[in-house]
Amino acid sequence: MAEFAVTTSDLTKQYGETMALAGVSLQVRRGSVYGLVGPNGAGKTTLLGVLAGLRPLTGGSYSIDARRIGVLPDTPTFDPWLTAFEVVDLARALDESGVEEPAVMEALARVGLADVARRRVGGFSRGMLQRLGLAATVIGEPELLLLDEPAAALDPAGRREVLDIVKALQGRATVIFSSHILDDVQQVCDAIGILNHGALAYEGTLDDLVADRGRAIEYRVTTRSDAGAVAERLREAAWIQDVRVDGEAVIVAAPEARTLEELLIPTLASLDVPIVSVAPARRNLEAIFLEVTK
Amino acid sequence: MSLLRLELIRLLRTHRLWILIGVFGFFGLVGPLTARYLPEIVARFGGGVEVAVPPPTPELAMAQYLGNALQIGILAVAFVAAASLAFDARLEMAVFLRTRARVRDIVAPRYLVNMLAAAVTFIGGSAVAFVGTVALIDAPDVGGTVLGTLLVSLYLCFSVALTGLLAGVMRSVPGVALVTVGALIALGIVGLVPALAPWLPSQLVGAYDALIAGGPFEYSRAVASTIVLGGAAIAGSVALLARREV
Repeated sequence: MAEFAVTTSDLTKQYGETMALAGVSLQVRRGSVYGLVGPNGAGKTTLLGVLAGLRPLTGGSYSIDARRIGVLPDTPTFDPWLTAFEVVDLARALDESGVEEPAVMEALARVGLADVARRRVGGFSRGMLQRLGLAATVIGEPELLLLDEPAAALDPAGRREVLDIVKALQGRATVIFSSHILDDVQQVCDAIGILNHGALAYEGTLDDLVADRGRAIEYRVTTRSDAGAVAERLREAAWIQDVRVDGEAVIVAAPEARTLEELLIPTLASLDVPIVSVAPARRNLEAIFLEVTK
Repeated sequence: MSLLRLELIRLLRTHRLWILIGVFGFFGLVGPLTARYLPEIVARFGGGVEVAVPPPTPELAMAQYLGNALQIGILAVAFVAAASLAFDARLEMAVFLRTRARVRDIVAPRYLVNMLAAAVTFIGGSAVAFVGTVALIDAPDVGGTVLGTLLVSLYLCFSVALTGLLAGVMRSVPGVALVTVGALIALGIVGLVPALAPWLPSQLVGAYDALIAGGPFEYSRAVASTIVLGGAAIAGSVALLARREV
């Protein structure tokens, strides 16, 4: 089995005078979650459409080492007179994996739609349709999933659920996940590709991207204790690169995301301070993103 | 849930089958009624003007059915077929199907169900017209009625195939339906050229009246060309839809 599930080489796609993809060469490791990031119009949907075989290439080539591919468009749409169960059952029937009908309810339960399985989808909200689309995409366990903004229309709880599903696929399937929500990418992706004006502006891990740009990975910690006092105590931890106070929050920086993910919570626990929230500091990543895509 | 079942459900839940049944059934009832009572209607509402009305005959009753039913029926068949065959009019819906099945597998049940729906509802309407004609006037020629009805059903199947071809050219459902009707009218006009007429699908419509009237009618060339052109339209639609970017 090849190391990379998806490889593209100098991929170009032109619409008239517009170059939607301008020589994109990327490699997606098997079993990884690959975040395709970029501003609107960067070429993310076009690239996913090409990989799904729905858009012919203008130039270049690509190879996909996966027998079954699941594709989720950014605004999944279904015949409104079908029930949620029928939509996923149709996807199951068309899938070549041979999964049985009980898998339909399991897939719906996985995205929190089991209760409305017999309801017609015409009355579904956009968020429900997105979850339904995800259920129809993951049924049959495709080896490669192409997800176009899968969490864009969801409320925070729905987004969390979708990200958890995507994260759970890590190692079992290869996922290419397009998004412009950097928090989502940071939470679930092993590697990212930043598209800008149809060209790949960066490919690699988030850690490397941050390191390349001379910035540390930052987390924002909010506690019920005095931020200054918490910052003072955090500075004593040897693994922390930098600590600063931002209003009522403390920004903690480390050279690698993994270090932060593994050590921050135990360190905070050892301080015995009441924690309100711990989350990636968005501004840091956004600043880098803007720098890459400007 | 198979793609065939999807099409059957579409026809039922969108009430499109009832539209076809309604159109052909209604004109199946009205055809013999108007033929039978036309002299009385004209006498009552003619306002004193003397109008020569042909006496009611079984042939006239069946011709009334065909004439009225086809005008609205073709439009209904084209709209129903376009709503099914122009499956990539909504791109996100097309993504769902195109990433899971080949275009020919997607459209095959759509052609089958739409052709059957058009033919069966027309035959049903024709049966209603036949029974009404027997009850109100006299029995039309049975053999001619059956053959004529089958030939018009073939013409309706050709209309569905033409709709599919146009769905491969444009994405709008109303656009596909209206252009289909326009193309069928244009074919009828081409039929005014005597050398071409026997070869055109529109000749099948003319066969209906002639066969019910008991007269001989040459339709074999029109049948052959309709089958060939219909098959070509289906093959063309598959090629066009498969090549179209989603």
